[in-house]
Amino acid sequence: MGERTNHGDVLLRVRDLRTYFYTRWGVVKAVDGVSFDLHRGETLGIVGESGSGKSVTVLSIMRLIPSPPGRIVGGEVLLDGENLLALDEGEMQKVRGKRIALILQDPMTSLNPVFTIGDQVMEAIRIHQKLPSRKALVERAVEVLKQVRIPAAETRLRDYPHQLSGGMRQRVVGAIGISCQPQVLIADEPTTSLDATIQAQYLRLLKTIQQETGLSIIFITHDFGIVAKMCDTVAVMYAGRIVEKGDVRQIFNRPAHPYTQALLASVPKLEEDVERLYSIPGQPPVLHDLPPGCPFAPRCAYAYDRCKVEYPPTVEVEQGHTAACWKLV
Amino acid sequence: MTTNATNGQVLLEARDLKKYFPVGRGLFRRTTLLLKAVDGVSFSIRQGETLGLVGESGCGKTTTAKMVLLLEPPTAGSILFEGQDVLRLRGPERKRYRQSVQAVFQDPWASLNPRMRVGKIIAEPLDINLKLSPRETKERVAKLLQDVGLNPHHANLYPHEFSGGQRQRIAIARALALNPRLIVLDEPVSALDVSIRAQIMNLLKDLQGQYNLSYLLIAHHLATVRYMCHRVAVMYLGRIVEEGETRELFTNPLHPYTKALLSAALPSHPDIQREEIILTGEVPSPLNLPTGCRFHPRCPWAMPHCSQVEPTMREVRPGHRVACHLYGSSA
Repeated sequence: MGERTNHGDVLLRVRDLRTYFYTRWGVVKAVDGVSFDLHRGETLGIVGESGSGKSVTVLSIMRLIPSPPGRIVGGEVLLDGENLLALDEGEMQKVRGKRIALILQDPMTSLNPVFTIGDQVMEAIRIHQKLPSRKALVERAVEVLKQVRIPAAETRLRDYPHQLSGGMRQRVVGAIGISCQPQVLIADEPTTSLDATIQAQYLRLLKTIQQETGLSIIFITHDFGIVAKMCDTVAVMYAGRIVEKGDVRQIFNRPAHPYTQALLASVPKLEEDVERLYSIPGQPPVLHDLPPGCPFAPRCAYAYDRCKVEYPPTVEVEQGHTAACWKLV
Repeated sequence: MTTNATNGQVLLEARDLKKYFPVGRGLFRRTTLLLKAVDGVSFSIRQGETLGLVGESGCGKTTTAKMVLLLEPPTAGSILFEGQDVLRLRGPERKRYRQSVQAVFQDPWASLNPRMRVGKIIAEPLDINLKLSPRETKERVAKLLQDVGLNPHHANLYPHEFSGGQRQRIAIARALALNPRLIVLDEPVSALDVSIRAQIMNLLKDLQGQYNLSYLLIAHHLATVRYMCHRVAVMYLGRIVEEGETRELFTNPLHPYTKALLSAALPSHPDIQREEIILTGEVPSPLNLPTGCRFHPRCPWAMPHCSQVEPTMREVRPGHRVACHLYGSSA
C-alpha cells in the first residue's frame, strides 16, 4: 500500500501534557494527558472542535498559557531531547520564534497596524540573529518575503499591513514565522479567514517551503479537508484528549474511534452527492463539568455502561494507529 | 441532492439587479467613484427550491441578499415575487412581502438579542405582525421550538444559556414564525462547530420538505452548497458568471472561474488529487472594473477579445448558463 510515509527521527515529543485552568466554576482540564511525536519533515494535523484543547496544546508547547488562571500541571515537551517545560523564561525566549514558530488565524490581529511590514519582519530577525549591519538585516527581510512569494518585496517593506490584501498579510505572517529558520512551524487555523483560491495558494506555498527547508509542521484545524490536503499524520482531539491518532490514510480509510467515524460521516463531500449526512446528536461537552468516563459517551451510538464510568485505554488498532475506545479493547 | 422538488412555480425572480455605492475619494471626499457591488444580476427561485449563491468575499452575494430582503434599495432592476413587482409595493402589501421573506444569518451570537428571553425573541415577529392572544402566541412559540428540535420550556431561557447550534435553531424558529415562503440563509453553518453543522443542514432540509420552503443560500463552502442546493449561481465581481443545476454544475463546470473555485476546494480524502487551476493575481477592485470580461485579467484561457467585449449569459446545455466567450461568442 505504501501508506506509511518515512520521515526522519523524532524532533518534538510531547508526553502526557496536562494544562488546567483554575476558574471560579472549577478546574477546566483543557489538555488532559496529550502525547504525540512529530518527526523531522512531517506534517501533523491536530483536528478538533472548539474547546477540544487543540489550541491550548500548542500554546502549552510554546509556553504561552496565560497564568493565572492557566497552568501546565504535568508532562514533558521534548524538542530534540530537551524538555521545554524545564527551561526558564529567558531560555524559552530563545526557542520561541527561533526553533518553534507560530502562525495564528487572523493576520490582521497578529500584525501591528502602526508598524511597516519591514519593521515587523526585521524585528523577528533582529531578536534571534546577529546580523552585522542594518543593510544585512534589510537584505535578509527581503529574502524572507521573496521566499513567501511576495511580489516587489523591496517596496513592500515600506507598506503598512492595511495596504495589503488578506492573502498577502497572511504571507507576511508566514515570512515572520520562517524568518529564523525554525525546526517546527505551528499553524493554528492559518487559512480560515482566507477565500478558497487564496487559501489554495497559501497551502501550496507552505508545502513548497517545507520541501525547501525540511521543516516540520503542526496544523491546528477543524477542517478534514485541510488534513486531507496537507497532513501526513493526524491526531483527533475531543474534550482535552487525543482520541485517535494515525497516518492520514489510516484515519480516512479506517477510522476506529466512533467520534472520528461520526465526524467524517457528517461532513458534506464536494465530489459526490450525499442523500443525507449523518448528524452527531448533542453538543460538545462543557469542560468544567465533564461526565465521568468517556466524554463522548453521551453522543456515541455505541456507548454502553462501562463507557459512562471509566475512561477507555488507548489501544493500537494497527501499526502506528491508536484509538481510545472501549469498543476496541 | 439535485433534480427533485425543482418543478414548482417560480416564487421570486430578480431581474438585472444593480447596486452601486458612491465612494468618496480625496480631500473632503470631493471626487466620488461608484463601487459596483452588484452589477446586473438575474436569477429565479422556484417554490420548494434552494438556490445557492457562491463566490469569494466582495463578489456581491450578501448585497444581493440584502436587496431581496429589502434591506438595501437596488440602484436598478426589479424583484418579482409571485409575479408582483416588490419594489413598487407600499404599505400593507410591502409588509406582507417582508413577512414572506425571512433571513437566518451567519453568527447566532450576534443575531439574537442577549437581553431577551428566547420565547420573546421568537414571539416578536408574531407580536408585530399578527394580533394573537397571549395563549395563542405561547402555543405558536412552543410549536416553533419543537419544529426546530428544541423544547417548549426553552422559551424561558436567555440566548447565552444555549450552545451555538441551539442558538442557530432559535434563529431558524424566529425566521419560521410568520410562515414565510422564502428564507435567505447567509452562511448559516459556517460559524458552528463541525459536529453541529450536519444537524443544522439536515434540519433546514427537513423544514423545507415540511413547509415547501424556498431558500436562497449564500455560502463559500462548496461542499455545503452541493449538499444543500438544487441549483447554484456563481458570482464574480458583481455578476453571475455561471448558473445551473447543482450536479451538472459540479460535474461539468464551464466557466474558468467556476473551474478554478472547484479546483481550489479542499478534498474530502487524501487520495483525491485535483489538478489545480492557478489563478494569477487577486480580485480586481470593484471601483475600477476591467474592461470586457471582468475575469479576463486572471483567466488562464483569456483571448484577445475577452478584454474588449463583455460576454453575456448563454444557455450552453439545458438549464446550464454561462457568460464566457469560450462557449460561442455573443454579438
